Amino acid sequence: MSKRYVMVHDENKCIGCQACNVACRSENGTPEGVTRLQVRVEGPFGQAPNLHFKYHRVSCQQCEDAPCVKVCPTGAAYVGEDGIVTIKEDKCVGCMYCVAACPYKVRFVNPETKATDKCNFCKDTRLARGELPACVTVCPTNALTFGDANEPDSEVAKLLNTKPSYQDKIHLGTKPRIYRIPTKRGGIES
Amino acid sequence: MIKLDRRNFIKGAGAGGATCALATMLPGSLAALEKEPLKAVGKEVASICEMCSTRCPISARVVDGKNVFITGNKEAKSFGGKVCARGGAGHSLLYDPQRIVNPLKRVGERGEGKWAEISWDEAYKMMATNLNRIKREHGPEAVAFSSKKGSLSGHFFHLAKAFGSPNTFTHGSLCPGAYVIAAKSMFGTKLKRDLGNSEYIINFGHNIYEGINMSETRGMMKAQSERGAKLVVFEPRFSVVADKADEWHAVRPGTDVAVALALCHVLITDKLYDQAFVERYVVGFEAFAAEVKAYTPEWAEGITDVKAKDIRRIAHELAAAAPHAVVDFGHRATFTTEEFDMRRAIFAANVLIGNIERKGGLYLGKKAKTYNKFAGETVAPKLAKPGVEGMPKPTAKRIDQMDKQYTMVWKNGGVYQSILAATLEAKPYQLRGWVMSRTNPMQTMTDRAKVLAALKKMEFVAVCDVYISETAAYADLILPESTYLERDEEIADKSGKNPAYYVRQRVVETIGNTKPSWQIFKEVGDALGLSKFYPWANMETLQLAQMNRDDKALRHIKEKGYVSYGKPLMLREPSMVAKFTDTYANARTPDDDGTYASALKFKTPSGKIELSSAAVEAFAPGRGVIRYRDAPLKRADELYFIQGKVAVHTNGATHNVPILANLMADNAVWIHPLTAGRLGISHGDAIRLTSSVGSETSYAMVTPGIRQDTVFAYMGFGSKNKELIRASGKGLHCGNLLPDSTAPVVGMNLHTTGVKVEKV
Amino acid sequence: MNNTWGDMAQYDPVTWNWVIAVYLFMAGLSAGSVLIGIGMRWYSKDTLTESPILKAAAIIGPVAISLGLACLVFDLTKPFHFWVILVNYNFQSVMALGVLALLVYTPLGIAYGLIVLRDELPKWGLGFLSPVAQMLIGWRKAIEVLLFILAIGVGAYTGFLISAMNAYPMLNTAILPALFLVSGLSAGAAANSVVALLMFKVDNHDRELSRMHALELPVMATEIMFLFMLFCALYFKGGAAAVALASLTTGMWAGVFWIGVVGIGFGVPLLSMLMPAATRHTKGAMLMVACSGLTGVLALRHFILYAGQSYIY
Repeated sequence: MSKRYVMVHDENKCIGCQACNVACRSENGTPEGVTRLQVRVEGPFGQAPNLHFKYHRVSCQQCEDAPCVKVCPTGAAYVGEDGIVTIKEDKCVGCMYCVAACPYKVRFVNPETKATDKCNFCKDTRLARGELPACVTVCPTNALTFGDANEPDSEVAKLLNTKPSYQDKIHLGTKPRIYRIPTKRGGIES
Repeated sequence: MIKLDRRNFIKGAGAGGATCALATMLPGSLAALEKEPLKAVGKEVASICEMCSTRCPISARVVDGKNVFITGNKEAKSFGGKVCARGGAGHSLLYDPQRIVNPLKRVGERGEGKWAEISWDEAYKMMATNLNRIKREHGPEAVAFSSKKGSLSGHFFHLAKAFGSPNTFTHGSLCPGAYVIAAKSMFGTKLKRDLGNSEYIINFGHNIYEGINMSETRGMMKAQSERGAKLVVFEPRFSVVADKADEWHAVRPGTDVAVALALCHVLITDKLYDQAFVERYVVGFEAFAAEVKAYTPEWAEGITDVKAKDIRRIAHELAAAAPHAVVDFGHRATFTTEEFDMRRAIFAANVLIGNIERKGGLYLGKKAKTYNKFAGETVAPKLAKPGVEGMPKPTAKRIDQMDKQYTMVWKNGGVYQSILAATLEAKPYQLRGWVMSRTNPMQTMTDRAKVLAALKKMEFVAVCDVYISETAAYADLILPESTYLERDEEIADKSGKNPAYYVRQRVVETIGNTKPSWQIFKEVGDALGLSKFYPWANMETLQLAQMNRDDKALRHIKEKGYVSYGKPLMLREPSMVAKFTDTYANARTPDDDGTYASALKFKTPSGKIELSSAAVEAFAPGRGVIRYRDAPLKRADELYFIQGKVAVHTNGATHNVPILANLMADNAVWIHPLTAGRLGISHGDAIRLTSSVGSETSYAMVTPGIRQDTVFAYMGFGSKNKELIRASGKGLHCGNLLPDSTAPVVGMNLHTTGVKVEKV
Repeated sequence: MNNTWGDMAQYDPVTWNWVIAVYLFMAGLSAGSVLIGIGMRWYSKDTLTESPILKAAAIIGPVAISLGLACLVFDLTKPFHFWVILVNYNFQSVMALGVLALLVYTPLGIAYGLIVLRDELPKWGLGFLSPVAQMLIGWRKAIEVLLFILAIGVGAYTGFLISAMNAYPMLNTAILPALFLVSGLSAGAAANSVVALLMFKVDNHDRELSRMHALELPVMATEIMFLFMLFCALYFKGGAAAVALASLTTGMWAGVFWIGVVGIGFGVPLLSMLMPAATRHTKGAMLMVACSGLTGVLALRHFILYAGQSYIY
């Protein structure tokens, strides 16, 4: 069976500390001024004392039906054999069509390569070495889980089978592979 | 943008390190060097982080000669192989063009920003001339030595001692000191929290989800997510910890002590406390119980704005979960002059539920000596101290020790801010020199204007740092230290429930002309003519001496980076004791109840937990019994001004580190919508905060996540020296708003005050 | 919560800026101009003379598309790698299909221009191109038909290009290609009359010119109808789509729409019809109306592009 890499972001466990943001930058050498990943702490929402923050991971959603791949004129944005959406730098001319077309606004032009850039689950670096993505590796509270959802015994598969989760903007038909476990107000239940 | 180009540098600085006014290029900074790829020392090196004072075990790997990928060292289980944003970003100061890589001498007025590069020889000569002159004319005690705690302070204070000055200070009194002193007064030693095994956690603004302390952050998350622990938070601000809590009570700033005392009141009055434990291990209970009688939840409600029925309910819930429950004693809460009794009241609640040496409660650290004794064998090697003979004993008393009430602060870093009065008013005697290592009192000490005046009045100021910090900007001499990623240091003790050692090792080869601080202060010692107090040649020999020349053991620690010995042990936890005795054949025989309860002794005069203390009463009359005292923090027409930690910065140190500065450059002021409305302030408006000592501007963040009578800002921003190019002038400088005030007994620098807020 | 996660600049939803708006305008203008030029030639059945309007189209068609493409290329982050886009094709991509169309359309437009302007070339010092024009003339019919078909494609393509992005409710509508094609026609007509009046000294009462003007009202009516349909569709779709309608009432782009698109683009030409015929048919008045029309179309491209990108699902 083909691989179906997914990432699960547990918003209950996430504390918005940006360890992932920094680790990603260090591993992938993301230049200053742009980023592949941030976790925005939005809010507080609600009425005191029943307030809550939203921990919003902003990064490539690794859509199974990726608008960026569809619009890219040269095929620079492509889906690899492992199903991961990534970029061939030398094929990218920087038309920005993918940047504009991405419903999650997570693509950007890398000021060093002038090609578009985004999260690719550390495909070329850590995955290639058999390691987990940088963000998952460092996450202090184990809020991130990564793996092959087609593998029934994988941690992600178990997690998705046992916890309620949601994906962003599914009505656009993009089939994002970042799953989010929503915050349950009033403590953390696992 | 600063170009890394040698030609530009020479143009800017003038040949041969001549004078140069501060322009885009700092003299002595890394910008002066040409960028070369990072040279890795090993493929993956285990070391110790230094981005904050927690010093987590890390593992680092150089990526393409450009970055260092840093994560936690997996050998340290409770740290989970994890690292926070600050730890992960540590490498970005390696090649920060603004990093100082050459010794610098001030050539203009103090703080004017005119620097000249000098050689290390010249720097040492300057140190020797100035320090020895002050020593000759005024005695060694006229020089103060202050440092960040840890490996740095060890070598640095060794120098101070050899030099003959008693005046050594850490940042303890500016931050975590109070709970250590409170613990010492009650238990005779520091205590640790076992958050990971807790089922009920009461937290007074100890925001470990923002001020990350990796093993505790992970522990609390584990308790919450895996054990379903209930978390109750008392904090004036809706922090991340408050968000993750089951209950958030927006307590009135500075009144945490009343909540803690009311909890004790309910525990005692409703007979919820562990009477057997109290009987066996506690002295001074009756005096405490008599005092606490008046501190009803109803009384507390009037002071704290926390509902009496909630306090009562929480006390009952806490007792129901006991002993696997804990009332977290700090780090941060709102600071008042009643720090001592606030921390003691919290410890008292823990004592009452009998959670000492129980899972999920509080425990005493078990170093090799203690642990081996229980095991009846050498499970962990003991760390040896390199013998230094003939160390002089200072003849003068340390400046804070003239006041008897600070007796307990003697061994704990001292009352740092007492340097101010000593320098400005010769109280108790005149200080004339100040040598600092990785400490930034201009940011972290209160009343910036006073700190500045003290720095200016000094005859000689030398600072060892990686940046021209706000404090270093006023130095006469700057000694550039290598970053932690370029340093080897001695083995450090990281024992918890069982012994553990870890070690800092260089990850990349040294950049520029920097040196590790142990070497700098050894060489300063040589220049001062104190070589005989440095019997070690280098770090390797020092490490070997620590390990009693056991090369194999040393290599093992260096290879793993972190080595833990034995199994976790809590003396009153039967399951742990059982496992312990199963492992070690010669282990101490357990008591009838299967625990080591009879072995639990405290290093207090009575050998028991001193809920009320005659010793304290002796040096601080009226303080023997925990008591509530009003501690006014503001005038009626002012708002409370409180601060806190953020996950991406360390208070006085990281605001210029490139990656972190890019994550967060300034600190908006949190203000409640109704308060903002009354003051005509909208979200994003520029506002001015004015206190009794200073005035600062920032912008408003209007949010329901703060009490109406309180404003909040993250600490450490708004540096005013121009050398910190990324950080300077951004946000609000907390120290500039806080008055210089010291809490009795614990000597804590007060970090809460009243401010007036206006739109500008 | 304070921002602790870093710079948000890269997340600005407006990715494509005015350069692309100008490109969209130029492509639409080129296509509209060519469609009207050739269409009127076919309609008049006069195959012997090259009418001033056809000559105008022969200039505008290739020039506008070339300028547009120049905008496009220099807006690339790697302009000197633009050739990469010519050798790699992803046939799922509207842009790749557009590149193919433009790859044929642009040289064909130039060829057709040479044919139509063959008598003018020596006058402009371009006599050396006459042999080429002579060589091409035999292929005129084929070139003309193909160019006409491609012009429809190019005109609609600019709409497809941005409507293919489903992130933006205002852009991701079926009406956009049609709207852009029609507004391209209106720009083409206006530009044709300007060039015909200024360069080819066409008589103000020229039959062809009048015939072209007669087209303006229905074209404009269609444009208005399409816009109305676009906004209705957004309104009834509700949610984020309905929120995007705020662009009509708030912010700078509301101004561009009501003043630029409606006021100048539709208002001025419509009001000019109230002028006495004598005034209306002066060269000055005709130029003014044409320029207003062009401004309106340029404003429409800006409005759609910016307002469209400002509202995201």
